[in-house]
Parts: sequence; C-alpha cells; structure tokens
Amino acid sequence: MKLAKVPNLIVLGTILSLAAIGCRKGLDKTTQIPKGSSPTIGDTGTGQPRDITSSPPVNTTSTDSTPLTGVNVPSNSNIAANTTDRSTWLENRDEFKAQTVYFDFDKSNIKPSEVGKLEEVAKRMKSSFQGKALRVEGHCDERGTEEYNRSLGDKRAQSGREKLAQLGLDPGLVDTISFGEEKPADPGHNDAAWKKNRRIELILLSPPPAGAAN
Amino acid sequence: MNCFVVRRLIICMTLILLGLPIAGFAAESERLTIIKPKDSLGFVKPVPVNVSGFTGEPDNVLKNDLLFMGVQHVPLDQALFLITGNNNGRVEGHVIDKGSKSPLFGKAYTGGPIRAQIHAFADDVAFLLTQVKGIAQTKMAFKAESGLGRSEVYVADYDGFNAQGVTQDQSMVAGPCWIQRAGLIYATYKFGVPQIFSHQLNSGARAPVARHPAGNYSPAVSPDGSRVAMILSKGGSPDLYVANIDGSGLKQLTTTREAEFSPCWSPDGKLICYGSREPGAAVLFTISPGGGSPRRLATTGAPSPTEPDWSPDGRWIAFTSQSRTFQICIVLANGGVGGEAIPLVEGEDPSWAPNSRALLFCRGPDHAKQLSLLDVPTKQVKHVARILGSNSQPSWAK
Repeated sequence: MKLAKVPNLIVLGTILSLAAIGCRKGLDKTTQIPKGSSPTIGDTGTGQPRDITSSPPVNTTSTDSTPLTGVNVPSNSNIAANTTDRSTWLENRDEFKAQTVYFDFDKSNIKPSEVGKLEEVAKRMKSSFQGKALRVEGHCDERGTEEYNRSLGDKRAQSGREKLAQLGLDPGLVDTISFGEEKPADPGHNDAAWKKNRRIELILLSPPPAGAAN
Repeated sequence: MNCFVVRRLIICMTLILLGLPIAGFAAESERLTIIKPKDSLGFVKPVPVNVSGFTGEPDNVLKNDLLFMGVQHVPLDQALFLITGNNNGRVEGHVIDKGSKSPLFGKAYTGGPIRAQIHAFADDVAFLLTQVKGIAQTKMAFKAESGLGRSEVYVADYDGFNAQGVTQDQSMVAGPCWIQRAGLIYATYKFGVPQIFSHQLNSGARAPVARHPAGNYSPAVSPDGSRVAMILSKGGSPDLYVANIDGSGLKQLTTTREAEFSPCWSPDGKLICYGSREPGAAVLFTISPGGGSPRRLATTGAPSPTEPDWSPDGRWIAFTSQSRTFQICIVLANGGVGGEAIPLVEGEDPSWAPNSRALLFCRGPDHAKQLSLLDVPTKQVKHVARILGSNSQPSWAK
C-alpha cells in the first residue's frame, strides 16, 4: 500500500519498528514515571542548605597589578584590591552622604565636576579618621542588564578608588563593592530617577569593637 | 524484548531499507524519505500536528511542550500527524499518520503526577517526529527577589512549574548557572562582596569556588562541568578569569582597563564568549580558555551586546542588545556574513534549551521581571508564572 503523498513528511524507518511493537495490540508499552526522577533539592532536615563555611575568604597574592603604595599611583593602571577583610566593619553611611559621586549613562570615569567631592573625602579621611577605612559602593541605573551592570558598578567603584589614590588617600584603606542595579536610590523608571542611581556612595568604616564575633 | 521480537525488528528494518512493502504490520508502508524543510535561518520548520482527546491543564501542557520542540498544534486539515489520547487517571497517547491512518506510536504512562506523564509523552512525540531529544522533562534555575535587595536561587521545571527554593540565605544572589544537571553555581553577597559558590542539589552541600577580594561574579560552567569562567575584580578592574570547578588553577584571561562581563562557553569548551568594550561601547569577544588574543564577535545592527549564551549545537550565540529597550538577538557563532544580528523579541538574558531551538529569557521593569519561553524559529512566546517579587537570570539545564 503506498503511503499517501507527504512531501513534507518527517518519518524515520525506526518509526515503523516502533509501530510494529507498539501498535499491533494498541498499548503494549507503558512507561513508569519514577518518583523523584529529577534531582531533589536536598536539605539537612531543617530545610536549609548546608551552611557555607564562614571562615575568612582566601587571600590571594596579586602579581600582575600595581602594589599598594598609597600616593603617586599612575592613573593608567589597575590597583589590586585589598586582601584585608573588612566585611564586618561598622558602616557609617551619613558621613560622606553629600559626597556621593554621579556618573553619565554607561560611563565609569569620574567627571571633572565631581572630583571636588572626592578631594573632600580624601582630605577628611586623612585628617579626621585615622584607623578607619572607606568602602566605595558602585551602582547603576536599570538601563543595563543585571550582570552588565554588576560589572559597570564595580568599575565605577574602582574608578573612585583610583581617583582617591591620586588625591592622596592610601588605596589600602579603600575597598570597593558593586551592587549593579539592585539597590537604586530612586526606584522610578525615568531620567530623573536614573540620574540619581548612577552613583558611587562613600561609606566610612570603623573596626568592630574588640572581642566582637566575626 | 524476546528474541522473536528482536528478529522481527531486524527483518522489519531491513525490509524498510530495501523499500519493500511490509506485510503483517499495521504500518504497511513502503520506503519513507526524511525531509526536514528548514526556514530562512536554518531551523527545521515545525511539524504540523493535531492534538485531541486531552483535557484541561494537561492538554495545555502538552501543546506548550510540543511547541518548544518544533511540533505545532494546528487545525485538523493542516495536520500531518494526529496526536490523540486522554488523561483520565493516567496519560495514554498515540501518534497516527493522518494521511495513511497508520498508527506510529502508542504508550501508556503510569506513576508520578499527570503533568510528569504528559511531559514524558511530549518528549516521546517530539523525538519520534523530529529525532531531536525532547526538553519537556528538563529543569531551569533562576533568581527570585524575596524583598528589597534580597533574592534567592530557585529551580523549577523548564516551564516554571514546581518551583523550589535552593538558597535561604536572606541575602542577594546573582547569576545562577548549572553544573551539568546535578548542581548549581552562583554568586552570593552573604559575606560582603559577591563570592561564587557551587551547590550540589541532592545533598545541599556547598563549596567555595571564588572568594577573592573586591568581587567574584557572573560564573559560567564549561559544558563538561570541569571548569568555570567568571569575572573577578581582585586585580583592580573586572576581568575575565577561568579556573577548575573547585576554584583551583586560577588563570587570568584579560588584563584590560575596561570592565569585562558575562562570560559563556562554546559547547565544545574551546572558546569563551564574553563582553568588554572597544573605547566607548560594549562589544562581544571570544577567547580561548587557555589564554591568548581575544577575537571580536560582530553583532551588526544590535548595539551594546551583553550576557551571551551559546546554543548547544554550536550554531548560534544569543545575547541581549541594550538600547532604548532590551532585545533578545541571535548571531551566528562563526560570524556568518558581516556578523548580522537577528532581533527576536523584547527581553533580556537568554538561556538556550538543550534542543538549540527554544530559550528562556525575562522581561519587565526592575523588581517586576517575569520569565518567558521563546521558540526562536516561530518567535512564539509563553510567559512563565512568576513567584515572589521578580524573576530573572534564567539558566536552562543542558
């Protein structure tokens, strides 16, 4: 018996074999769906994933970036990150709130009009805050994708750190972090909001009190 | 299968190859040819079928599954195959050649929920009609916002059903990515700067992958599960690094003053595609994980490309073009002619299905994003039900 003309037919020879097995008596084949055939989300009984070790992060030796020597950092090279873990230091977000630095869309360079703010920060850090440190937090507006913005926010923070170094603040006292677009200053979806979100915030850090748990 | 049946199978196949009519079988067909008409992008056109007999949600699930596997439910007169059956108590399904009325396939499915049975049937139908392994029983991972500046990693069926929380750190996560099908890797802000951890799904065991100073994010696991590409800031600028999956053997691949971002791997593990800048604008590059000079990947017509994902068949790189809106685009991985990018739909952060035909992406404003499924050749989109506040960064297990 000829098969009906099916110019666009997509069939394999094995189909007939399957037909031979499966169709002589209707349903010869049953397939048992195993219980939990996909990986179960395991837990330790409390519903929590096993805890990530909270031991200090691995320190690394950077061999390919400018060493931390404070001032006179060349303006055209990356400054390796500090290895000191200040994640538990106390944050003061108010001290340098007025010195939040803003950026143009999709840019990470410190505009000349913004440099004065960083001069102020460098000056006050050196004169008033011995023993303290600074965290530069990079942020973006929502017009970039999440990972793109995580990287751009990072670059903005590092840009701020480099400028502070050029202004005389020891980069060994300055950490950076990026939140990408995840912590906007203004949740609006317009130019006015976006302008406020493209920023770095300068956060004064104080060492935790002696004896505080890590 | 006993010996008798095996012998019959061999005889059956031999007869098919010889083009002789086969007696005694329901199919009674002569030699069949394989024709797979393709569209202008080189995707196989959907096989037109008519689905009947299934009711309620299982009927929707079946049609959706088939859609993303290149099998399209159409009115009876346009169909080449009939997909019939029912979901009364258990799923029973048949595939019948419409023209010849030959039954080609029949199965009953037992055990597990009806939805799982439907997915299994859909996979069987798709494989029968396209010879491509089905995706109806695959999984995806994504990020769900649980509050302001708080997000967790979730795993669900590829269509969003059965979502289960993987993390409960009450911190921020970013960029979940599968380690083959058994584990995930992601960045977490739990300890301050983003750090990368691996997470075995069955045991819940987590292990550090990258906890360097300043920032560790955008992890991408090589298809064989042995290595990870990621962006590290420890050198003073976000750069591309590669390491073994346990974080050992760290190698820096870029040393620019620009910010690199969002790496992904070629399916053969020989190249990493990532974003960087040529002064002023974001562009995509490819580089060998062993190091060396990067090569620019043109995305002509699609500005500011980011978050690339390489199709498992090696043919396409999907990415987001950032302009006034976000646009999912694809470009031929080998550059094609002039590196012309093909825009598909509005959205961001594509992740290919294992069948190199469908992809997951998300769309919507910040904090109100929703995952969606796209059938690339037909541009059909289905939204995935949202859980919690905002769902983004899908990763389809391959």
